Amino acid sequence: MTRATANRITEDLLRPLLQTTWKFYAGVTVLGIMVLIGLSTWAYQMYNGLGVTGDNWPVFWGFHETNFVFWIGISHAGTLISAILRMVNATWRRPVTRCAEAITAFALMIGALFPLIHLGRPWYAWWLFPIPWPLFDSRGLWPNYRSPLTWDFFAINTYLTSSLLFLFLPMIPDFAVIRDRTVGLRRKIYGLLALGWEGTPKQWHRLESAMHIMAIAIIPVAVSVHTIVSFDFSMAMVPMWHSTIFGPYFVAGAIFSGIAALLIAMAILRKVLHIEQYLQPIHFQNLGKLLFTMSLLWGYFVFNERLTTWYGNAPHEIPALTATQSGEYAPLFWTMVFCNFILPFPFLAIRKLRTITGTVIASCGVVVGMWLERYLIIVPSLAHKQLEYSWGTYSPRWPEITIFAGSIAAMVLLYTLFSKFVPIISIWELKVGEHKEIKAAEAVQAAEAAGELV
Amino acid sequence: MKAIYGLYSTPEAAQIAVDKLKTAGLADREITILSSEPLEEYEFGRRDHHTWMSWIAFLGAAIGMTSAYLLTSITQQSWPIQTGGMPIVTNWTNLIVIFELTMLGAVFATVGTLLFTARLPGRQSAIYDPEVSEGKILIGVSNPRQGAISDLERALHEAGRVKVKTIA
Amino acid sequence: MTHRWGMAVDLDRCTGCSACVTACHAENNIPTVGPAEAATGRAMHWLRIERYVEGEFPDVQVKFRPVLCQQCDQAPCEPVCPTYASHHTDEGLNAQVYNRCFGTRYCANACFYNVRFFNFYNPVWDKPLHLQLNPDVSVREAGVMEKCTFCVQRINAGKIDAKAEQRELKDGELKPACVQTCTANALVFGDLNDPESAVSRLSRSARGSKLLEDMGAQPKITYLQKEVWHDSSNG
Repeated sequence: MTRATANRITEDLLRPLLQTTWKFYAGVTVLGIMVLIGLSTWAYQMYNGLGVTGDNWPVFWGFHETNFVFWIGISHAGTLISAILRMVNATWRRPVTRCAEAITAFALMIGALFPLIHLGRPWYAWWLFPIPWPLFDSRGLWPNYRSPLTWDFFAINTYLTSSLLFLFLPMIPDFAVIRDRTVGLRRKIYGLLALGWEGTPKQWHRLESAMHIMAIAIIPVAVSVHTIVSFDFSMAMVPMWHSTIFGPYFVAGAIFSGIAALLIAMAILRKVLHIEQYLQPIHFQNLGKLLFTMSLLWGYFVFNERLTTWYGNAPHEIPALTATQSGEYAPLFWTMVFCNFILPFPFLAIRKLRTITGTVIASCGVVVGMWLERYLIIVPSLAHKQLEYSWGTYSPRWPEITIFAGSIAAMVLLYTLFSKFVPIISIWELKVGEHKEIKAAEAVQAAEAAGELV
Repeated sequence: MKAIYGLYSTPEAAQIAVDKLKTAGLADREITILSSEPLEEYEFGRRDHHTWMSWIAFLGAAIGMTSAYLLTSITQQSWPIQTGGMPIVTNWTNLIVIFELTMLGAVFATVGTLLFTARLPGRQSAIYDPEVSEGKILIGVSNPRQGAISDLERALHEAGRVKVKTIA
Repeated sequence: MTHRWGMAVDLDRCTGCSACVTACHAENNIPTVGPAEAATGRAMHWLRIERYVEGEFPDVQVKFRPVLCQQCDQAPCEPVCPTYASHHTDEGLNAQVYNRCFGTRYCANACFYNVRFFNFYNPVWDKPLHLQLNPDVSVREAGVMEKCTFCVQRINAGKIDAKAEQRELKDGELKPACVQTCTANALVFGDLNDPESAVSRLSRSARGSKLLEDMGAQPKITYLQKEVWHDSSNG
């Protein structure tokens, strides 16, 4: 790799940090206002009680819980790209890893807010911490480890901590580069963040070893997190919840929605930060193929679930099934099938259509479809439990919708701020990639010259 | 003089410089190498000995596992409360919490080891030059012996066109 | 000997008058949510009378079934509460500890009888109705789950009285509000650990069955009926 290329990479990737346009300020302001509206609505809900939402008897869970599962699902993007592709040495991943890991970190943070938002008395949520009495007065009781909600607490905290560390560690060398190029307050802050990084062989070796171990560790954690989220449903004897397929079904759905979110983020970043050279069509192609695989896998799981339920004809389960297939939730259900399966199919299966635009269209469909899927798992089942007399309905009210919109704005805002203060593509990892490719090409040339390769 | 070092544009030149310095009588640990990316394809980039990090990660995992096991089973027994006809100590469900804290232990051990052995935060060597962030590779010696300075300077120049700097 | 509280509900006697529902509200400080909230489906009837109409005019039959917390021995609502707010007592009751509840509502979802209720708002009693609140029962704030407790305040008061008088509890001495009020004597409450008590004998009756028995929660309320109803409860 020539010095010119190396310099160009650093310049291009640092430019968004060092140059700011009015568009940034405008965007942050608008998003900030939306987030504030969402937060105020939450405060309004806390003050008045959950009665302001559409939750009722017997559908006690609605939008807030749907959003919880939705955001935690989106957070599986980073793990797949970063950890799994790292493990299998897929070199095309290099420009994409930090984009993906950032989605994970922020989606997790937002997703982890929703259990707080849905609580009746969120000011007591700290009771889930295993703190012994009498250090803090939690009435002398420990949390109940038999409850899936306690498992959620441990799983999400573990995943969030690990993901933040996984995101931060490879940022250290990049912070050192920024430190050396800036002055004043910026230099001080980035200097602190760089932790005094110098770049000795020992430091590089240790960093890469740590990344390797973390990549191995974070994959089972990610799988466990969404499995445990699925346990929130499958541990209850609610029709169509108590299914053994829920663990893998949710994990596959999470990876599915995560890749879609990543594709949308990459497409926006490309244009806004002018990094078209780095996020190339090939990346969208490869991720598009993965998205296609996940779409097929999703369809497979849904078919499995529904065929077994329908064929089994259990009297308690059929009403919930019918409600989604042909009853009051049917329009949403078939929209979901269209968004997750039918719409993406041509854009992902046909190479000519698997362009950046094509994959983004498919991804938008998937994100909508996967939100609908979470809603359709929760609400129709709760509305049709075992005793017909107590069947019910649910429709959201403005607080739930506003808080949902606020959460989307929060995600975009956090991501925008992140791309302003941290290079969205890992500079050193990209250089290493170019390096290795050139070395490999040179080795091939040398072998050809020596007559070893024909 | 506190340090003398050269900034090289290519890893090959840096490798030559390292070899020349070793010929001039320096040991590996007396030579400072700084780069803006890992260069493990080159001999000088493979300086570090085998790390114990994986074993420490395992140890961290073991500590996490034990703590979680004790946390769940001891607290369930100290406040035995009947729920749903399940046993007081429910091993199936405790496994879930144990798994999470095991992985957390491995992660904390790994990151802790990294920070400690890479001496982060904090800077260890006396030499640093911001040009390293521009892509140059720094090969240098800190606190060189008074008499050897001219030898070292010659060695650093022999590797090719290079900026040789000193820190007084 | 420890008690094991249970109930028998005679469906052949129930007239659907709903006096029990009113009594329960009065005894347990249950708020009336108002018509708007009730239309949303948020009425909080710890004990509700389910009404089933069968047949065509003029051969119409109306059946009534009071449904309340079944105090299941293997309650599905208990393991899922992260704070032990819902747990099982030594006397076989499913306890709901209001102070410990922070309102995840998982217990309500897990309960297949749908007998758990949530305080969506802070309850309000317009003056002077606040004067009729029962001082033996706490008033729950917004965000807390609640349900039938078999009038545990009466059980505890009765046990204390018996202990003070140094005697055993007599069968039929303790009556939850609904049992006390039922005009048709359709509700019977007592100690299932005492094989001679009225409720034990009725639980062994040939007319007896349990609601959603095959779900396996081991409910402690026996429903007595000459003909088994063909609806989802016995499917």
